[in-house]
Amino acid sequence: MPDVPSSTPPPVNRRQFLRDGTRLAAMTGLGALLGLAATRTSTARGYVWQIDPARCVYCGNCATACVLKPSAVKCVQSYPICGYCDLCTGYFVPEPNGLNTGAENQVCPTAAIERVFIEDPYYEYNIDEDLCIGCAKCVEGCTRFGNGSFYLQVRHDRCLNCNECSIARVCAGDAFRRVPLTDPYVIKTTAHE
Amino acid sequence: MRLLRRIIALVLVAAWWSSGVSAWAELRFPPPEFETDYVMGGVTTPPPRALPFEYVDVAVLVGALGLGVWLVHRRRSRRGLVALSLFSLLYFGFYRQGCICAIGAPQNVAYGLFQPGYTIPLTALAFFVIPLVFALFAGRTFCAAVCPHGALQDLVLVKPVKVPLWLEQGLGTLPYIFLGAGILFAATGAGFVICRYDPFVPLFRLTGSLFILSLGGLFVVTSMFVGRPYCRFLCPYGALLRLSSLVSRWRVRITPDYCTQCRLCEHSCPFGAIREPVAPPAHPSALAPDRRRLGRWLAALPVLILAGGWLGSWLSVPASRLHPSVALVEQYLDPTKPEPVPGAPTPEIRALGRAELEAPELVTTAAAVRRQFTKGGWWFGGWVGLVIGARLISLSLRSTRKDFEPDRGACYACGRCYLACPNERVRRGLISPAEAAGLNANRPAATTTAPNRS
Amino acid sequence: MVWRRTLLVAVVLCGLALLGLLGQHFRAQAYDPLKSPQLEALKRQLLLEPKNEQLKTDIRQLDLVLRQQHFRHQAWTQFGTWFLVVGTVVLVLAAKSLAHLHARLPTPQTRADDTERALATAHQARRWAVGVGIVTGGAFLLLAVPSKTRLPATPGELERLLAQLRGEVIEAVDLPTAAEFAANWPRFLGPTGNAFASNATPPLKFDLASGEGVLWRTPLSVPGFNSPIIWSNRVYLSGGDATNRSVFCFDLATGDPVWQRTVANVPGSPTKPLDIPESTGFAASTMATDGQRVYVMFANGDLAAFTLDGGPLWVRNLGTPHNHYGHAISLATWQNRVIVQFDHGEADENISKLLALDGASGRVAWEKPRAFGSSWASPAVAEAAGKPQILTLAGEWAVAYLATDGSELWRAGVLHGEIAPSPIFIASYALIPSPADTLYAVRPDGSGDVTKTHVAWKTDEGIPDITTPVSNGELAFTVLTHGIVTCHDLRDGAPLWEHECDVDINATPAIAGDRLYLLGTKGTVIVMAVAREARELARFDLGEGMFASPAFAHGVMVIRTVKSLIGVGNPPAATLEASRS
Repeated sequence: MPDVPSSTPPPVNRRQFLRDGTRLAAMTGLGALLGLAATRTSTARGYVWQIDPARCVYCGNCATACVLKPSAVKCVQSYPICGYCDLCTGYFVPEPNGLNTGAENQVCPTAAIERVFIEDPYYEYNIDEDLCIGCAKCVEGCTRFGNGSFYLQVRHDRCLNCNECSIARVCAGDAFRRVPLTDPYVIKTTAHE
Repeated sequence: MRLLRRIIALVLVAAWWSSGVSAWAELRFPPPEFETDYVMGGVTTPPPRALPFEYVDVAVLVGALGLGVWLVHRRRSRRGLVALSLFSLLYFGFYRQGCICAIGAPQNVAYGLFQPGYTIPLTALAFFVIPLVFALFAGRTFCAAVCPHGALQDLVLVKPVKVPLWLEQGLGTLPYIFLGAGILFAATGAGFVICRYDPFVPLFRLTGSLFILSLGGLFVVTSMFVGRPYCRFLCPYGALLRLSSLVSRWRVRITPDYCTQCRLCEHSCPFGAIREPVAPPAHPSALAPDRRRLGRWLAALPVLILAGGWLGSWLSVPASRLHPSVALVEQYLDPTKPEPVPGAPTPEIRALGRAELEAPELVTTAAAVRRQFTKGGWWFGGWVGLVIGARLISLSLRSTRKDFEPDRGACYACGRCYLACPNERVRRGLISPAEAAGLNANRPAATTTAPNRS
Repeated sequence: MVWRRTLLVAVVLCGLALLGLLGQHFRAQAYDPLKSPQLEALKRQLLLEPKNEQLKTDIRQLDLVLRQQHFRHQAWTQFGTWFLVVGTVVLVLAAKSLAHLHARLPTPQTRADDTERALATAHQARRWAVGVGIVTGGAFLLLAVPSKTRLPATPGELERLLAQLRGEVIEAVDLPTAAEFAANWPRFLGPTGNAFASNATPPLKFDLASGEGVLWRTPLSVPGFNSPIIWSNRVYLSGGDATNRSVFCFDLATGDPVWQRTVANVPGSPTKPLDIPESTGFAASTMATDGQRVYVMFANGDLAAFTLDGGPLWVRNLGTPHNHYGHAISLATWQNRVIVQFDHGEADENISKLLALDGASGRVAWEKPRAFGSSWASPAVAEAAGKPQILTLAGEWAVAYLATDGSELWRAGVLHGEIAPSPIFIASYALIPSPADTLYAVRPDGSGDVTKTHVAWKTDEGIPDITTPVSNGELAFTVLTHGIVTCHDLRDGAPLWEHECDVDINATPAIAGDRLYLLGTKGTVIVMAVAREARELARFDLGEGMFASPAFAHGVMVIRTVKSLIGVGNPPAATLEASRS
């Protein structure tokens, strides 16, 4: 064995050849994968997670299962659907003591719903997303007995868009979907809208 | 009365659920006609992170990889790699908070290939392909300084213990098995288990379940004393990179010049990736038992694959339970399913209520998933058999080496060994050739003749 | 030294932060301020005392405190996390510096033979690789062997399960045979639905006081106008009022109560008591059984299924019936399905429907909307014109449906008024009574509107307004509420005779062999001969008023009176004698 390396580069040996061949094969494989993907890239812009309100069963997992605390799922208010009811079944507990903003009457555990008088007998209901924890208590009340203008949506200014959504995994209604990045919300509309 | 109550609650849930559906169509309370000039608000829809930013991520990935290659192979700078690691940790880790990362990307590819209705997003594809291409040419530069998981483990390393080589090589099959499992579950649509059990992403997010955060903490603490435990023994993407870098065009060379067999570098590698020289056997006859063993393992390989596949197909029942639909159907068909009580139903009861309404569709889906798992179980089991068999074959191959050099697959290209080499120090002008010679003079045999321990 | 001290401090601080965070976590798990039971209790209290202002103040104060706790907890967790991150960074930096300062320089030593070592390493590594293989395979087995699944593996089994879930499967093996069905009294007016027990031979006279002909008498505690049904050695009936509704099971041989089940707390059931006149009550619908389960329906819309032994199977509320007299339509079964004619409200409300529910699960197999208002006539279910038919009366129409899928077969527009008498299938006719007006015999083999084409005959002699016509296939009998019995020739509807009983009769009579048993509302029982001429065979007073039709099976005639359930029959020896003679 020489203690000084020989100045001439070693000839391409069998091992080197094998390596080059494998690399070429791997590159071809990756190229094929790219090609395959390219044939189906019409919507390859990416996805985000979203809730289909029609499938939501208001189980409350959105509040607890999200990796974020508080959850990235919030209740939203679709004003065109809202009945602006005085007795809002999303705002008030069943059999409310009085139709006022007293804590004993509110269904929201964090008082995230704001009740604003508009004109007799209509009230506007707004969600304070900083307070909302996505527990869906109001959604259940509004959907079961009202117009269903309250519903849950993944808020994309908060959502981390995990590769695997940890709420989707446990969603009792199988309501979570990957929706195209370009159309990231499932907004409820009425039939005549 | 248990049954009765269960049925009561089921019906209750069903009624609620269907009421939710019917609310779609018509409004119970017609929206008012306002007399005042009240202006109705709209639904705010804060957009997700815009697509160009995703492409910025890809650009940063390519840039960081390029810089990494330059730092590893041209600049040969550990310090530069540390700086790049820190940047990657901050950008891909704490700023981008882990998703999407290359480690999870194989699942997206598998999901996209097997599940209709999902096309692999370009960014996911880029995160999957680009580090592999770089590894095919320049080794694991992604692991060195671009992967935030690797960077975190590398940066917190305090005092590495030496993991015996046999243990490392013996357990080296685990990442391949994990990769197989990740692809199995992704391809069947059961979920992304690699992401689910990723110990570091919750750390980057500073939030998560107690279990996963504890796992992350455990890995961080372990990383202080065992170099890159996740990369070495679990990382499924690392398994792909390992294979790629086995055939890489350029490899990490400890010495820029020639190896003086001083053995100083051996201790500098915290990952046990530096292999010592092994001389070829003196007599070809010594190879005979090795050849027989190799022959045996080669013959055993198909058996291992088939046995693995057969065992894997058995997994279809327990493994498919990870799929939400299968889990729900199993629970729904179970006569001892949880008993609801009147009052607000639990999420579980609500899910069972949905199963009651959608039972035929759900069972059809679950049965299809189960079939996929039976097929996938064969593939996965066969893969495990192949991995074990291939490892045994490679361990039966005798390799000879003249110099100290990093194992192509195991080297993370972290650059720690560079400055351990006296010849590199001479090249950088840190010490004079004479000093280097003096170092080597400590071992008289080494300076005069090639280390000859055969 | 400074690094060592820094490290120490960092370790202590990180440990404290960790402990704090874990403490927060476990405290939050044990006690979530947003789910405070204390607040729940106060809110419940307020429901009981809505005027208690102090309670309201307490709730508001507690609510504020709890919400503050919740947000403070979030803030603390965030602070603790960042504290821990910074602490860890300091810790790692200090530890690294210390390790660097204390690093021992490598002093490589000459080692033994490298080839040997390489071989030993490879050998050891192979062992570990094999070990990994064995452990993985073992894990596969360990996971696979104990795991059970209820999801069918073969396509055939899957198809069967799916069909079962869709309610398509008729479990023929479990169904009773036609003979078994005929030997029992599984629904209102018996197995044939025309109140004809051809083989029954009940005594001509029975007397509660002397016990003659009476096998047993069991007092009934709850009201109900529904008729008893019989399957095997059991009698089933229901009873109840606005507050409490139950199913009762008695032994056919002894009359002893076997079981009793209350149907209560049904989700969707009206919480406020319905205003239903006592003349109908909450339990006017007769139960039905398919030989495997018994079904019961109450006037508040509750429908429930029990096993023959009283095991509750399912219960559901079909919706509150809007019915000014109260829902009174009896249940029927076809194969393993229970048929519910749920006619209520007004015709233009479109809330009536005909349902077939899977008996085992209660799932709706099919459902047909009906554009009719309330009706009180029970559907007739029978094999007619080669098809399983369900004949319903409501509004102006008699509508026949195919029992398998609920598709409409034919309809006849012959009705008017408030429909209480039920239709029957007998011989080749469907007898359709338009209350207190006309009795139509319609051939049930038509399709579409058969009003003009399939009416075989009609008669307006002695048409009842409450009871259902009964027939033995040769003669048909109709009974008016004030006790006039009319006998018609089934071939052409010609009235053969008319008989004045002089008692009020609300219960549909029944034919047992060649005798017609008429049960009066004041307790009079009249037995007439089933013959082409009027002949009263017996007349006696039972002492208890009767509104329900009798049931016959296994040698016992079961009569429900307003006070009790009575088993009538010949004593065992007499039965033998009777069968011999």
